[in-house]
Amino acid sequence: MRLEKCWFCSSTVYPGHGIQFVRNDAKIFRFCRSKCHKNFKMKRNPRKVKWTKAYRRVHGKDMTQDATFEFERKRNRPERYDRHVAEETLKAIKKIDKVRVDREARHYAKRMKGKKAQVQKEAANELEQSIHMVKAPAALQKEPSLTLPKVYQKQTEDRMEE
Amino acid sequence: MVQYNFKRITVVPAGKDFIDIILSRTQRQTPTVVHKGYAISRIRQFYMRKVKYTQQNFHDKLSTIIEEFPRLDDIHPFYGDLLHVLYNKDHYKLALGQINTARNLIGKIAKDYVKLLKYGDSLYRCKSLKVAALGRMCTVIKRVGPSLAYLEQIRQHMARLPSIDPNTRTILICGYPNVGKSSFINKITRADVDVQPYAFTTKSLFVGHTDYKYLRYQVIDTPGILDRPFEDRNIIEMCSITALAHLRAAVLFFLDISGSCGYSIAQQAALFHSIKSLFMNKPLIIVCNKTDLQALEGISEDDKKLVMEMKAEAMKTLIGQGGEPSNDEGVLLTMSTLTEEGVIAVKNAACERLLDQRVELKMKSKKLNDCLNRFHVAMPKPRDQKERPPCIPEAVLEAKAKKAEQAAEKQKKLEKDLEDENGGAGVYSASLRKHYILANDEWKEDIMPEILDGHNVYDFVDPDILQRLEELEREEGMRQEQEADDDFEMDGAEMPPEEQEALAEIRKKKRLLIQQHRIKKSTAESRPTVPRKFDKDKKYTSERMGRQLSTLGLDPTLAINRARSKSRGRKRERSIDKGDQNGIDDMDVDGNQPNKKLRFRSRSQSRSRSKSRPPYEVVPGEGLKDSAQKKKAIDASSIQVGFILHKLYTESCELSYPVLEVALKALKGLYGYRGESYCGGLVGSRSLLSAADDLLLDE
Repeated sequence: MRLEKCWFCSSTVYPGHGIQFVRNDAKIFRFCRSKCHKNFKMKRNPRKVKWTKAYRRVHGKDMTQDATFEFERKRNRPERYDRHVAEETLKAIKKIDKVRVDREARHYAKRMKGKKAQVQKEAANELEQSIHMVKAPAALQKEPSLTLPKVYQKQTEDRMEE
Repeated sequence: MVQYNFKRITVVPAGKDFIDIILSRTQRQTPTVVHKGYAISRIRQFYMRKVKYTQQNFHDKLSTIIEEFPRLDDIHPFYGDLLHVLYNKDHYKLALGQINTARNLIGKIAKDYVKLLKYGDSLYRCKSLKVAALGRMCTVIKRVGPSLAYLEQIRQHMARLPSIDPNTRTILICGYPNVGKSSFINKITRADVDVQPYAFTTKSLFVGHTDYKYLRYQVIDTPGILDRPFEDRNIIEMCSITALAHLRAAVLFFLDISGSCGYSIAQQAALFHSIKSLFMNKPLIIVCNKTDLQALEGISEDDKKLVMEMKAEAMKTLIGQGGEPSNDEGVLLTMSTLTEEGVIAVKNAACERLLDQRVELKMKSKKLNDCLNRFHVAMPKPRDQKERPPCIPEAVLEAKAKKAEQAAEKQKKLEKDLEDENGGAGVYSASLRKHYILANDEWKEDIMPEILDGHNVYDFVDPDILQRLEELEREEGMRQEQEADDDFEMDGAEMPPEEQEALAEIRKKKRLLIQQHRIKKSTAESRPTVPRKFDKDKKYTSERMGRQLSTLGLDPTLAINRARSKSRGRKRERSIDKGDQNGIDDMDVDGNQPNKKLRFRSRSQSRSRSKSRPPYEVVPGEGLKDSAQKKKAIDASSIQVGFILHKLYTESCELSYPVLEVALKALKGLYGYRGESYCGGLVGSRSLLSAADDLLLDE
């Protein structure tokens, strides 16, 4: 039993899920669900479809090269069973996962580094440019702060109150 | 046997005919129509097909020629030599080689031109390429024409060769020309060979068949051989020499003792001695022919001596075969074909000798089993009841017993037996791990997980995984330290909440605008262009405008007033208090807020439209057909109003002003602007009654 990777979106295909397509040149394409399968049949390039891992890697959204990826490699040579090795491997998998997750988080943080400042700058800009939509120029002249104007209250109301 | 049947070779066409055949076939069997308007790939394909088809046909035909003509090295040496003698091996091979070369050349031409055709860019170019290709192929064939003609001649000659089976019982007749060989064969077989007084009547081999003891014998008549050195012999003689050399046959050497063939016995004896090497291992019989002209006893001493010598030679062959040396009757025989005396005897003797020799050979050969059914093995009849079993020595018996013992010992317990013991197939499942070779035998029954946390465990298995993991962790630790050292991100100043509110408001407005625009855009085709007059949502009121302006922070009153002033409101407001901007009247119960309904019904709109409209003019949209109808309607309604007024005033003097106001307003609406001023004047200055009477009179 093996967990495979979906050819289109690179998610894991668990046993009992998905479809496998074998082409005439004996290349096997595995899909995790019909969405990926249908996209493939439409001849879409996964590197151009935003939600796939391939796209994310190509466009630098996700980590591409890392030492943690080297641990997981399909080895075709069978190894003789050794209990210690098996134990160590199982423990190692967990640690490697943790390291990988940390690194991915760091990658994300680096990617989003200047985002906050940029957002704030943009907001300030927008406010300054479009303040005329909520505050008439006359009111702006009178009160030059970039805030909502005080709504004009009718004199009659005052009079009625009197 | 097929391979010796040269009649099956297909006709070899002459060069020109060959070309014609192939080209006409190409013309017929491939599509013929192509226009220059077709796609270029289609044009190319068309011409490529023609070239390939022609090449294929040439190839096929030339291949059949090459295959069907026998290869001189592969056939029986008798035929090989015979063909060599007749047609000259080298010449023959050359001709076939030329055909082969032609075939290869044509293949090459086709390949090259097909390659060129792949890049032909116009119909004309492709066509000329095809013409060139076919032309070259035809030239090749033309060049090879003489070879084709030669092969055709050979074929025709080969077809006429006698079908001699080199492996069956054969009797060969040889001797000087004119000694009577053909007459002999004519006598014993049904062959009809030419017999003429001149020498070399028989120019080639002839075959006849005869029977002896229920077996069929081939009798081969050869052309006469002259006594010459080997190199000087002509083709005809070489035929017989070949036959002698290669066929395993009984040889009948004919001797003309009368000398009427034109050659003396001495000459014939000389010939005999010169070719006696060819008689090796062949039963030889010396036949003295033409005894009717000269008896064997009557020849001279020298001749007799020569004949005896020959006989001695013949005896040698007899002895060599391990036959009976004493029987010299079968070696030298006399006969006369003319009187048919002794002919049968000769034949019998020859057949007998041949048969004996062949049987002996067969007995010695390995193929005895094939012939075994023709032999009979006699079984002795039991003469008494005594049993005589086969005698096996003791040692052999012991050895056999020991072997059986060992075999029984080695039998180990099979898995199948184990399965049977433990309950059969469905109950017991064999432990496949029993024989695993592991470092520690306790691990044999270990279960190892294949999947963990979405990974395949087998992908991670590595002997030095620990070490690598350590490195990784170290690296990670270092990196984390670095991260801690990295400076913190500077946050810009946060926006104060009021500004945030403003921004939110801006964004909301933008979104709304976009939404509305999208709706408008999407429904543009199906939305009617309704003029603002019939706006039922009542979006465009001065109230609303006022609200919007006030939210923007402006004072809306000026704008509202202006808007109202632009729209002509009720007369009362305007005419009475022109000075008062706000138009507030104590008598004005409705107050400052003009009633929209009344305003709409008032004259303002119609006034804004056109000031010069006569009272009875029918405005489209009113529902009246023409002015006459309108007049009638107005008069009808005004009468009623007048009546009502009259009634009201007479019945009750405390008529509330507002009621009258309403009624007069109604009149105004019907009467037009004239009525308005009229009624207004009336109401203001004169008494109400007289006003009502006036109205009545006015009609």
